[in-house]
Amino acid sequence: MNNYPEVVAKLVDDYLRRVRLQLGQLPALEQDEFVREIQSHLYDAYQQMPGEDEITRILAVLRNFGEPGEVVQDRLPAAMVRSGTNRNLPLYVLGGILIALFGIPLGFGGVAVLVGILITLAAMVAVFYAIGGVVFLTGALLMLMGFARTAAPEFWDRMVALGFIRLDGPAGDFLDQLPASEQGLLMIVLAALVVAGGLGMLWVGRYLIRGLRFLFSLALDRLREFAERIRRRAHPDEVRPPVAAMPAMARK
Amino acid sequence: MEYSEESKDRRITQLRKGILELAVMGALYDQRHYGYSLIRALSENGSISLKEGTVYPILARLDRDGVVRSAWVESDQGPPRKYYTLTSSGRQLFDELSHEFDLLVSLVQHKWKAGEQPNEGGKKLLVRKA
Repeated sequence: MNNYPEVVAKLVDDYLRRVRLQLGQLPALEQDEFVREIQSHLYDAYQQMPGEDEITRILAVLRNFGEPGEVVQDRLPAAMVRSGTNRNLPLYVLGGILIALFGIPLGFGGVAVLVGILITLAAMVAVFYAIGGVVFLTGALLMLMGFARTAAPEFWDRMVALGFIRLDGPAGDFLDQLPASEQGLLMIVLAALVVAGGLGMLWVGRYLIRGLRFLFSLALDRLREFAERIRRRAHPDEVRPPVAAMPAMARK
Repeated sequence: MEYSEESKDRRITQLRKGILELAVMGALYDQRHYGYSLIRALSENGSISLKEGTVYPILARLDRDGVVRSAWVESDQGPPRKYYTLTSSGRQLFDELSHEFDLLVSLVQHKWKAGEQPNEGGKKLLVRKA
């Protein structure tokens, strides 16, 4: 196991957390594998790094390893292609525009607007899924009715007599002109179309979910960075995390 | 036109990254390595002047493409280590790529005269005009 001194463990954890943030587009399993391997490397490198001061040693290890963005930059494009997110290019652009317009220039107000937009988008996706589900269920019910009309016409007539099934208006008039078996068949065909429509909506919804997930992770990253900047301003004496410290050390 | 240091550094980094993949395969040709030991092996023959972390995406890519195979092995000195070995198809690929690399080195170093092939019996290196 890792036997780091407490302060070193904190710096390593912070670094790994930043790596994981950068890996947001990778599947969770690949993220775990990648981070685990880096963890193993950092431990070995720390053990081999000469020096007395623990913080200097681990900062040197992290500096040699590279900034998280630099380390994962070759890892991400393939993952994006594999997960099919390249189809969401317009959403990437939309996300970028939203952040550029609201997040950066307007500070807290912009962030609030951004959060509001994300919540609205999430609600729209939820409504889309709900409508898709309702369409699917309606189709399934209609199909059931079609089968009932074909296989058990007396059951259908009884339901109509009891008032459970009512078909008024032009649709009812049209169906009355057809024999029971044809009525059932027509209902089954219509139901199949409705079911297909519902399933199509649910299938399309997964792309919306992907795009939304990307926008959320993008916005959360920016919010974390924003909060981090504010925290640093509020506590300038606090030990700075390694990634922020590395560029300064690299210039020496 | 003045050539900026930044632009030069970027090109050097790109060049090294491209060759690094081949170097990684070469280091794994006869011996299995985990990430840290691989970087040490690469550094023994001269500084690679690249951030150590950039080796891991290369290993992941090679692993995904079936050029290397990997396995986690417990270590009594710390966390488990992920060992890599070159697969048989990886060896074949390395042989072919290193041959291409030799041709490129010859081309860059101008060691062959006009009309003479850089490596007799080898493939012709086609340089397409833009």
